[in-house]
Amino acid sequence: MKAADFLYHRAGSVAEAVTLLDEYAGEARLLAGGQSLMPMLNMRLWRLGALIDVNQVPGLDGIEAEGEGDLEETRIGALTRYVSLERSEVVASRLPLLAEMVRHIGDRQVRNRGTLGGSLVQGDPTAEMPLGCLVLGARVRVESGRGSREIAMGEFYDGSYAAALEFDEMVTEIRFPRHPSHFAFSELTRRHGDFCVLSVAVTGECDSDGCWHDLRIGLGGVSDMPVPAEAASARLSGTRLTDDDIREAAALTVEDIDPPSDMRATAEYRTHLVPVHVRRALQQLRARASATELLTRTRENR
Amino acid sequence: MTLNENEITLTLNGESVRAWAPSRMHAADFLRQRLGRTGTHVGCEQGVCGMCTVMVDGQAVKSCLMLAAQLDGAEVRTVESLAEENGDLNALQQAFKRHHGLQCGFCTPGFLMLATSLAARGEPMSREQIRDEISGVLCRCTGYEGIVRAVEEYLQLQQNEGQVVEVEA
Repeated sequence: MKAADFLYHRAGSVAEAVTLLDEYAGEARLLAGGQSLMPMLNMRLWRLGALIDVNQVPGLDGIEAEGEGDLEETRIGALTRYVSLERSEVVASRLPLLAEMVRHIGDRQVRNRGTLGGSLVQGDPTAEMPLGCLVLGARVRVESGRGSREIAMGEFYDGSYAAALEFDEMVTEIRFPRHPSHFAFSELTRRHGDFCVLSVAVTGECDSDGCWHDLRIGLGGVSDMPVPAEAASARLSGTRLTDDDIREAAALTVEDIDPPSDMRATAEYRTHLVPVHVRRALQQLRARASATELLTRTRENR
Repeated sequence: MTLNENEITLTLNGESVRAWAPSRMHAADFLRQRLGRTGTHVGCEQGVCGMCTVMVDGQAVKSCLMLAAQLDGAEVRTVESLAEENGDLNALQQAFKRHHGLQCGFCTPGFLMLATSLAARGEPMSREQIRDEISGVLCRCTGYEGIVRAVEEYLQLQQNEGQVVEVEA
């Protein structure tokens, strides 16, 4: 199908874009990569008064490493495309979980156009980027004619496909704190590159004595938005991630979910799958940490 | 000029063109209906099938998910740019023919432009990588094996040619 009629504006700056958003008072949307918005318009799931194209706004993309040590931050412009995340050395070294997750998005053409900010604002509960940003503790910078503010990813959604933004607000950048030492990701899709049935991202720190702390477990596709599995994370703090610890923690994750039934899976099936995939992700986390530990020791012995 | 009708100037297959399009017209319809380049096919119009894949500023994109207005100032390559000037098929098209990379041919322009963009990256790719990279174009005839073989052969050919050029330089 073809999109219903709308007005097209090409914004030359953030100020121009947010002024237009304000003037249209909720009848306009920003057009970034268009990989979700354009299908929705073509299918006439949505009719808009206007599209404000921000692809030509200078300074909205880019990946910058800032600060050192505990003060380390990585800034990613909202218009940064997935393909840039895939190929960025800064993302590979400073945000490896995001680098791994971005490869699961759509297909080559989608990753050539789609943007990080666009994915966050779209707020698809099954999407990779909102989950990755949640688990990594990212903050979203938002501008409007009234000023700017930062929103923590944990507070960025009111519901499914509903970012907690006012109609005149525009996401301009995403800021990531220092990346955890260890991470793992597990996702189930019915077909290669499809929207996921569910996804699990985990991160954590492991002491030299093998005790884990600061575990974060995030679940995608099993609620209105990506959710942290807090009870499970708390259960694992101070443990050595033994098989028993992992099994007990994984069982707790069902408390945090409210899975939908849709064409990909029933709620019952998703409820069954969540502990299974959490367990696998945690086992992978443990295995990767011991591989890193072994590598470090081998190097020290040389 | 009203905002609902946009003047678009672009470089299409090396040639500068100018045309008008309504705001809601997507780039695939614009190429076919306003510029007469019907080599680009339109399938699902929701970014799933990949039939409308073209190259915009060197990268493969689904042209049903871009607005015609977004092509203003862009460099666009479509399947019409591939054949030699005398009409002979280029090496990629020949490889598709040789390996039976098509039957009905509806998906072929999409695959050809995606493969052309892969070759432009100049990186060697395993079969597994090729399969992953071409997953955004669907083919319901071939079962993909011939397509993967054709793309693999073409990428290798491009690599070898690249090496020859380097040695000569």
